[in-house]
Amino acid sequence: MKRLDLKKYKDLFAGYTELRVQENRNSTITMVDGSVMNNSMNSESGVSARSYCRGSWGFASSPEINEESIGYMIKAASDNAAFLDKHQSRGEPDLPVSSAEGEWDYSTKKPVVSQKDRIGFAKDIDSYITNNCSRVSSRTIVVNGLDMEKQLFTSTGSSSFAMTPRTILYVIMNVDTDSGPVELYDVMGGRGQFEDVLTEPSLFYEKLDRLYEHLLMKAQGVFPLAGISDCILDADLAGILAHEAIGHTTEADLVRGGSVAADFMGKAVASPLVSLVDFAHTAMGETCPVPVHIDDEGTPARDVTIIEKGILKNYMHNRESALEFDAKPAGNARGFRFSDEPLIRMRNTAILPGTDKLDQMIESIDKGYYLIRPSNGQADSTSEFMFGVVLGYEIINGKLGRALKDTTISGVAFDMLKTVTAVSEDMSWNCAGMCGKKQPIPVGMGGPAVKCRINIGGK
Amino acid sequence: MSGNSGIPELCVKALMSEGMDKAESRLLLTRKTELNVDSGSFSLMRTTDDVNLHLMGIRDNKKGTASINKTDDFSLKSGVNQTVELVSSGEPDSAVDIAEMQPSERFIRGPLEPDVDLMYARMKAFLEYSRREYPNLILEQVILDHTRKQRYFSNSNGVNFLSETGVYNFMAMFTSRKGTSTSSFNYTSISAEDLDKELYECGGADRLMKQSTGQTTTENLQGSFVGDVIVSPECMEDFISIITGYLGDYPLITGTSIFKDSLDTLIADARITLSSMPVSDQLAGGYFFTGDGFKAENSTIIQNGVLKSFLLSLYGSRKTGRKKAVNAGGFYVIDPGEAGFEEMVKSVKKGILLCRFSGGEPSSNGDFSGVAKNSYYIEEGELKFPVSETMVSGNLKEMLTSVKQISRERVNSGSSVTPWISFSGITVSGK
Repeated sequence: MKRLDLKKYKDLFAGYTELRVQENRNSTITMVDGSVMNNSMNSESGVSARSYCRGSWGFASSPEINEESIGYMIKAASDNAAFLDKHQSRGEPDLPVSSAEGEWDYSTKKPVVSQKDRIGFAKDIDSYITNNCSRVSSRTIVVNGLDMEKQLFTSTGSSSFAMTPRTILYVIMNVDTDSGPVELYDVMGGRGQFEDVLTEPSLFYEKLDRLYEHLLMKAQGVFPLAGISDCILDADLAGILAHEAIGHTTEADLVRGGSVAADFMGKAVASPLVSLVDFAHTAMGETCPVPVHIDDEGTPARDVTIIEKGILKNYMHNRESALEFDAKPAGNARGFRFSDEPLIRMRNTAILPGTDKLDQMIESIDKGYYLIRPSNGQADSTSEFMFGVVLGYEIINGKLGRALKDTTISGVAFDMLKTVTAVSEDMSWNCAGMCGKKQPIPVGMGGPAVKCRINIGGK
Repeated sequence: MSGNSGIPELCVKALMSEGMDKAESRLLLTRKTELNVDSGSFSLMRTTDDVNLHLMGIRDNKKGTASINKTDDFSLKSGVNQTVELVSSGEPDSAVDIAEMQPSERFIRGPLEPDVDLMYARMKAFLEYSRREYPNLILEQVILDHTRKQRYFSNSNGVNFLSETGVYNFMAMFTSRKGTSTSSFNYTSISAEDLDKELYECGGADRLMKQSTGQTTTENLQGSFVGDVIVSPECMEDFISIITGYLGDYPLITGTSIFKDSLDTLIADARITLSSMPVSDQLAGGYFFTGDGFKAENSTIIQNGVLKSFLLSLYGSRKTGRKKAVNAGGFYVIDPGEAGFEEMVKSVKKGILLCRFSGGEPSSNGDFSGVAKNSYYIEEGELKFPVSETMVSGNLKEMLTSVKQISRERVNSGSSVTPWISFSGITVSGK
């Protein structure tokens, strides 16, 4: 995307204004049973402006990026804010001011890999499955890349450029059984472009072997016993729990909208073993899956400690909610497309690792379940959550037993987290998360393995 | 937003001159005018223009697809070049093709321009109504938009379609609070071609808000039982989505659909008739032609319990050797039954009124489980109390053949028309 001097439009701003120019580039290769079903590229770019007038916001966007349209969008956003202000006159005070400048470019420095070679990568993965996973009846390989490039200038003086890419490899395998097909997926990859993330197919063979082994076990799987049980939630499930069940209930707009977390600030909501952080860009010395340095309101991004040793400490804010809650915004306002207004969004939400060892955590359970991979997840304003679980095992007398058929776990997060009695010392990130609110947006979710009591579905 | 009708045809010509055997292009221009309410107050007015230009080329059975959001000469040239490059890098697949020649047509439907002052007035009235009638209700987010879409389609077989549609879309998401007790959130979505009625009178909005205010205190069920579940019209939309999810390209191409061998066989109770009605006057919006360039028709998916159609695209049809659907799905309508809703509740000995289903993706054999949200325990024909931490589970195939009753009352959300349906043999488990 062409770099523009957005500062020159400052004189057109009428009051608080954000001006953003953005391009999202998406490429997808979908290979189903050896056929390339999807070989596509998509790019969309445009300009948007958002203005604030005494509690009323106006937003306007256009795919045209030129002097005329930028000027027009600034005016249209201001007019929209004025329309609402004229009708309702909320008379809210000015927003808190903070500013920052910087550039963060995570694009590859390597030569660009051609689409033909990317398809070649998918074919290699496909061949490996056909040659080594003899019982697989259907296989799907998806290689997806998303580059998000944003330029921002705000009336508060913030100015930023960020190019944040991610590349994901999805593999789905099916085997036939007497009771129908059984399916399992894995997702690999993360921050970075294809050239940096999917460098060599052979690096993923071990994961494919493991996926196939799990699938064969699952083909002989059993239903768990329905009801509350001792469980170990592995990293991916702990991550989705952190995001869906806790993260969303502590977004300030949802707190304002009736979330149960409104009553819990400063109170114990989890076991003292549980600390939960929404990382801005760096966690434990490493760059996060979705690094955010300056958000789309121009706020410098910093970490938000949501739960510290079991106590609810902070909500996540944009400038407006920070004003209302007398808090400091930490860079959580993000929009997905150029035509999307910034919303309060998580960035990289994780339960912090503890001191326990996973093996010992499993050994400590006489009868329960080790739950490894989620499908989808949803949570509620009450913090009641539901996650689909597509991979898990029984634990019997401290040892892993039979695999489980697809099931569901549920509970009330702020109750369930109080049952946590062990947290493993290692953690991992799921880098493929796409969170849905009014808009989708890439997020990182992570965690260690967590031992808890949870309601599991079954037959 | 005018003067764009020739762009897809231009792109098709450019692709063909680059040596494609076949080509298609479609252009979508969207203008949205949107009013937002957050936490009960007007917060944002948003106006957006959007463009999506799709280009597809086929050469030697190799397909490539590019899409961009610009229509200037330089961008069109880049888009064509990118498509050609994608085609060159592709793999041959004999199933790829484009729609055959059909007569050119132009379709217009709905209000093409928003009445912004009326939008504001309707939203304001909705806020005032909810504050007055349901003081414990918090409107977390309310959005009313007017969306105008201009769609143009061309392909190298000479297909040329154009449609212009305008529709109002309304969404309200809410919770209720009494003291420190919070209900589960719930929401309502409605589409309409006019704003003649107040928003709270549309679809199930008023019923759902009223229910929410009574859901701040819930009870847990102890243990589990197998009983009846009455699925609400809103929740029925979710189950339709699960059912039709087994009928599309992907599950049929991979052979993982539970209905892959069920065409023209009884898959549901004989009282179930499910149609896809994208060109029905009953519904708002809709579409007149499919993404792959066929004029859309209304169709019956399940007729008196018999599966009459899959939802296969041209590609899915050629890949599987099965018949192509006459539309691209969506805009579903379930025929009414004969029972009254009250009568349905009275006939339940032990069960659940399921008003929202928060479920995991069903497994490939149709097993599903999830949490019953905004739902009620029914015993001896009476709604007893709203429940929490209650799961329902079953198998979709078994469920479809275990229909007890279908209500004569239906809810028209503008994008679907659905009744209450009761099913027996569903597992309900509490704590």
